[in-house]
Amino acid sequence: MPSYKLIYFDVRGLAEVSRFLFYLSSTPFQDYEVSDAEWLTLQGKTPYGKLPILEVDGKTLAQSFAIARYLAREFGFAGNSPFECALVDALGDQFKDYWGELFPYFATCAGIKEFGNSNILRREVGEPARDKFFTMLERVAKENGSNGHLVGDSLTWIDLTVADHITTLNNFSDGFVDDRFPAVLAVREKVMNDPRLTEYLAKRPKRYF
Amino acid sequence: MPAYKFYYFPIRGLGEAPRQIFALAGVEFENIGISDEKWETFQKTETPFGQMPLLEVDGKQIPQSFAICRYIASQHGLAGKTPFEAAWVDALADQYKDFNNDFKKFFYVQLGFEDGDKEEYKKEHGIPARDKFFPLIVKQIKDNGSGLLVGSSATWVDILIAEAVSRIAENVPGFFESYPEIIAHQQKVHSIPQIKKWIEAR
Repeated sequence: MPSYKLIYFDVRGLAEVSRFLFYLSSTPFQDYEVSDAEWLTLQGKTPYGKLPILEVDGKTLAQSFAIARYLAREFGFAGNSPFECALVDALGDQFKDYWGELFPYFATCAGIKEFGNSNILRREVGEPARDKFFTMLERVAKENGSNGHLVGDSLTWIDLTVADHITTLNNFSDGFVDDRFPAVLAVREKVMNDPRLTEYLAKRPKRYF
Repeated sequence: MPAYKFYYFPIRGLGEAPRQIFALAGVEFENIGISDEKWETFQKTETPFGQMPLLEVDGKQIPQSFAICRYIASQHGLAGKTPFEAAWVDALADQYKDFNNDFKKFFYVQLGFEDGDKEEYKKEHGIPARDKFFPLIVKQIKDNGSGLLVGSSATWVDILIAEAVSRIAENVPGFFESYPEIIAHQQKVHSIPQIKKWIEAR
């Protein structure tokens, strides 16, 4: 078993999906939290000046989705066929496109960077981005059989990514991902009720995003 | 062998890298160009996410250019020789995407797709984006040691970046003057026989 060290800030952010993958597979790992002070010296030593990074037996991987996909493949959460893996990847890419649209709203709510008044941004940026992305996801979930998964019949890293992201959106604005999206909310329910995650979900720090 | 149909506008754009991956893999595919006139209907009736490129594999669809690239590449040994190498290929591609999201603010102006002062946009967006991303690629090439980005043989991210570099170089003269390693990489990838043949015939 390789030794794993996941290095990130004290947030769920882009690394929570990878944390979930470790707990789902009962794989030991070091969940290393970087302080703002430490980041000043660490940043120049990372491949792209960003976090998260993952160390696997001391060798470094960068980019949150490359890390998530790598772990998902190792632990069996990437999709049950090459075709399913590609569908999961496509949804991941679509998420990233959506993320780019959402960013001014997200960054303002998270206190990372201010793009304006958060109420105005919610209406003008957050809601349109949400409606466009979650309408598509709802259709995908329904076409997949409304079985609590976005692709295939078992848990994949895109289910985990979407589930955790909904937590963040609802933290920023209660009920933001509403009952127009029942099949997607069912995906989240399945993740949040997975018995392999119960202990971690109970003990993890409460993080706004 | 499944039947592959690849749908995109009849331009290079996001379609060229997937096409070159098919070419390098030696896999036959139907290269379908959807004209602007046909696009409106096609978009509503055929596309899962309202976008192209789109790959059809025995009638089932995969959207998103990177998902398509990775799918074809990983079936044909062009995605890295180990899971760790594959993850590095993915990371480089994601980093390229971040670069392109910044760079295209200048590039669309340079190409005339959007209005703006070309020199100003080049200074504000083009050059900073280049100088943030390409030193990382130069370092990757040097550390890797084979003249390619990951491992000892071409991967889909080599094709992706070589295509981006050639398109930029064609439209912004002298843009990579201080990046000889980047030009060398692009030339190395484009002299791979199957890719060279594809480029000559397109």
